Amino acid sequence: MNDVFIVDANRTPQAKAGLDFKNVAAPFLGIPLLRHIMDKVEIPDDGIDEVIIGNIGTPAKYPNISRVIALDAGLHEKTSAYTVNRNCASGMEAVSQGFLKIKTGRASVVLAGGVESMSQMPLIFNRDMTELFSKLMSAKTLPDRIKALAAFRPYYLSPVIAIEQGLTDPFSGLNMGQTAELLARELNITREEQDIFANESHKKATIAWESNRIADEVVPIIAGSKLEKLITKDIGYRSNSSVEGLAKMKPYFDKKSGTVTVGNSCPITDGGSMLLLANEESVKKYNLRPMAKVIDYFFGGLAPERMGMGPLIAMNGLLERTAKKIEDVDLFEINEAFAAQVLAVLRGMKDGKVASRFGINRVWGEIPYEKLNVNGGAIALGHPVGSTGSRLICSLAHELRRRRGKYGVASLCIGGGQGGAVLIENLL
Amino acid sequence: MDREMDNNYENISYEVIENIAYIGFGKNKQKAMPVLDEKTLFELKKCIEKIKNFREDDAISGVIFFSHKDGVFLAGADINLIDSLKSEEECKAGSSKGQEIFNLIEDLPLPTIACIDGICLGGGLELALACKKILASNSPSTSLGLPEVQLGILPGFGGTYRLPLRIGIPNALDLILTGKKVNAFKAKSLGLVVEVFPKERLLDMALKFLTKKKANNSVLKSIENLAIDNFIARKLIFQKAREATLKETKGFYQAPMKILELLENTAGKKRQYALNAEAEAFAKLAMSEQSKRLREIFFLIDKSKKYLGPIEMRDPLPLSRGVVLGAGTMGGGIAWLMADHGMRPVMKDITIDALELGLKQSSANFWRSVKKKKMSYDDFEKKQRSISTQLGYDGFKKAHLIVEAVVENMDLKKKVFAEVEEFVTSDCIIASNTSSLSVTEMAAAFKDSSRFLGLHFFNPVHRMPLVEIITHDKVSPLVVKTVHQWCNKIKKTPIIVKDGPGFLVNRILAPYLNEASYLYEEGVSVADIDNAALAFGMPMGPFRLMDEVGIDVGVKVGKILHHALGERMRPSPFVFKVFESGALGKKSNLGFYRYDEDGKSCGMNNFVVENGPSKFKNMAEQDIQWRLLLPMINEAAIILDEGIVGTAGDVDLGLIMGIGLPPFRGGLLKYADSEGIASIVEKMDKYASEVSVDRYQTCKYLRDLVEKQQRFYDV
Repeated sequence: MNDVFIVDANRTPQAKAGLDFKNVAAPFLGIPLLRHIMDKVEIPDDGIDEVIIGNIGTPAKYPNISRVIALDAGLHEKTSAYTVNRNCASGMEAVSQGFLKIKTGRASVVLAGGVESMSQMPLIFNRDMTELFSKLMSAKTLPDRIKALAAFRPYYLSPVIAIEQGLTDPFSGLNMGQTAELLARELNITREEQDIFANESHKKATIAWESNRIADEVVPIIAGSKLEKLITKDIGYRSNSSVEGLAKMKPYFDKKSGTVTVGNSCPITDGGSMLLLANEESVKKYNLRPMAKVIDYFFGGLAPERMGMGPLIAMNGLLERTAKKIEDVDLFEINEAFAAQVLAVLRGMKDGKVASRFGINRVWGEIPYEKLNVNGGAIALGHPVGSTGSRLICSLAHELRRRRGKYGVASLCIGGGQGGAVLIENLL
Repeated sequence: MDREMDNNYENISYEVIENIAYIGFGKNKQKAMPVLDEKTLFELKKCIEKIKNFREDDAISGVIFFSHKDGVFLAGADINLIDSLKSEEECKAGSSKGQEIFNLIEDLPLPTIACIDGICLGGGLELALACKKILASNSPSTSLGLPEVQLGILPGFGGTYRLPLRIGIPNALDLILTGKKVNAFKAKSLGLVVEVFPKERLLDMALKFLTKKKANNSVLKSIENLAIDNFIARKLIFQKAREATLKETKGFYQAPMKILELLENTAGKKRQYALNAEAEAFAKLAMSEQSKRLREIFFLIDKSKKYLGPIEMRDPLPLSRGVVLGAGTMGGGIAWLMADHGMRPVMKDITIDALELGLKQSSANFWRSVKKKKMSYDDFEKKQRSISTQLGYDGFKKAHLIVEAVVENMDLKKKVFAEVEEFVTSDCIIASNTSSLSVTEMAAAFKDSSRFLGLHFFNPVHRMPLVEIITHDKVSPLVVKTVHQWCNKIKKTPIIVKDGPGFLVNRILAPYLNEASYLYEEGVSVADIDNAALAFGMPMGPFRLMDEVGIDVGVKVGKILHHALGERMRPSPFVFKVFESGALGKKSNLGFYRYDEDGKSCGMNNFVVENGPSKFKNMAEQDIQWRLLLPMINEAAIILDEGIVGTAGDVDLGLIMGIGLPPFRGGLLKYADSEGIASIVEKMDKYASEVSVDRYQTCKYLRDLVEKQQRFYDV
């Protein structure tokens, strides 16, 4: 089995949907990343075996967005490229598949990442209108056509918002926020705990950007109505965030008695991330300097309505597979879909009673606060769904490098009731 | 007989397959472009006559014209043909001869189709118009037009008669007066082309169209034609066209007026009358001095595309990826140029703000095309985003061409070059866009100076066609050849220039601008000076030009040239005064003129008026023109003497493409030649005693010309 090295990793700034990247189509959140990576190394344009990109809001214009990114970024036309979808973990799925391919010798150099333009997720005609269109198109004669048109009612025009549908679980019928409410209720996670957690996320992101320490993982992206501006920083974290301020916000998903607010959830966001993976032979061949090594990954499932507990399932599986303990790990990046959900995961790791409710009979212990999401998480930085999985690994690899740490875990919950986790080892 | 080939022809192919005659141009594929030269016309005539005779025993049922040459149907009539004609009578006879051949085609009682894939210009389109139908391919290279006006002539093979009949007078005027080319789809919407197909399908589809009946004109078209087909409407159309043309040409150009006169005269007239009038008008223009000059410029441009620099047998390197150093106005402009030609450039500067400035410049250039609907938003987005911004040196290893456009400071540039060379591969070419600094001195900053040369773009990059390629002793000929080819590819006009202060164009421009200021100090008004330049045909007067270029830039270059070339280049003290008052030109809304927020001119700068001459004097327009032109001619002569460029043609091409010296004058030195070198020197001597010994000191080169009784173009 080959070792799998992370040679480079970068990401776009992340901007709340509808803001600075609202006109940036999804491929353009990946092309500059790929180019910047390729510009740093001496791998020829035809030296990439596979480009794997995670994306869930497949733009109608780009059914296989990975191939679009690969070609437009200047890779050779013979380069294989495909797009993967594992909902919130699509970027992590891309990295995992790249890992497997290299591990098993099917590929030597892989670019893996994710892109998501949640601003540009489509509005869809509802079922009645779609029906009308199809009848209209199959109508052969003028009277048939008039008849088909006569069926029209104004409400046919009310669109289905794709993003809203995507964030609702088709089995339980709960939307993602409601699954967080469920965990908060069942594990008694208070509103105040959630707001404090959310506030910390903003504080950590603010410090990270004020000192510019995370600028080195970000590639500036061209934006603006005439494409004349460069966006260099994440947009959406609040430097003036306070627990008091967050406490004033109304619950969004359970308006009467809930605890989950827009403030202690992650915002809908646009962004992309990219990793260059290579085997040892290629590292030598192209004189590369790897920053980290991918050790292993794990995906597992649970009840869709408690999807927020996914990281518990995934980290349990990953640590078991790799025979690591919490103490071995220097940094954790656990995606902050909702404060309630991360707090529930942390509870599950240290509390055997909670863990056992999810079929885990092992107490892993407390994940120390100073090792978790040290530069802020999705509550402050946002959650571009298809990208977050690889974004977490990118941020993790860079932060391990900055602190000269050894092992790091990236994990996230996945809409539909799954969790994913990846273990990497810093080499710098 | 199903298939019959006739190999009696050299330039065209003639083949009959299943009763259809196929006539192909460009049979001799070695030749760059198939044109209608004397031989081709002769063979064509023989061919058509043969078909005409065949027809009687019904052997042929249709004729299809096509081209063997990829990307060219017919590039037009051979321009050398015109030069070989010695008198108006000969010209008229030549035109009539061509007309007769095309009449033969038109009169064939058979279906005839021209299948156009690629360029179809001038005589080529006139031939196609003689066919009953035209089909065109959708290849990007397919373009149709009658560009004769650009050579100071008009279509002489029936184009002025047949095009209005095919697409109506207004559209025909538009094409013939501007010489513009249209693509296949535009040609179809004009009614010039019947249908558009992929090039591989053209001949097959032509067979179907041979038998297809012509579709009736739409009702709308008929109404339109009816409206135009009356005396008053026609009068109005021509009046409007005349006004628009005069505005465009300022009355300097004869051909457009002649075209208007001809079309108005022949509209609605019988073929023989119209063709006869066309041949007469063609002959008049072809024999005119102006057309001769415009044709010479055409040849100069054509020559500039051929590599005539230091001898190099190897093929030029492909330059597919570019880097621009420095994201200012020039850097952004060059990045735009590279992005537009698919080079996916890296643009490097030292701050994000600076990079944004470059992006803005490039975006503005693209946006102009988007607004004019010449570029789709998607293409704009793709191309603008193909510029990769960089604060470091990532991507330099993959670059084939790096163009430096940082601040004009020798030490800084040298430092940048020494640094950059560490990050590039051994065959990466590095060029400086300097406008005034010594390329030879910069070359010394390199470990391998053979990879380096000067590449001087003019501001604004998107408008100015000229690029000076500046060589030095150590540059590799392969590098010069490669960059020269690249300039052709990006559709710029390159001139290879030896290193020297101000290179070619700026060095000749400087005395012109200096002299304008001296004239003002003497008491000639800014308006009189600028107007005299406009009357000569310059696109703008010298003061307007200084405002556009930037007075700070002018002062800087002026100092460098004065220092390097001595007293004849001493700038007028008045310009320094204006510069010190803070007026930097249009960019600061204040130069010699004042400008409002939108950059529109609104009167004089008060400082210039108040600190100007106390008393104004009248000077004849011609005297002002000579005062401005003579120092330029003298400097150009010195440049030729020093061997900075090889020929007077290089100087003229540089000034026409670089500062917009009026093409109808044929160029500065062509103009000097036509005025007589002896008379030039006489005027120089007069001004030397009356105005300034330094600035009007006749150089040796000019005196030698007089002595040998030669002109610039005789050398």
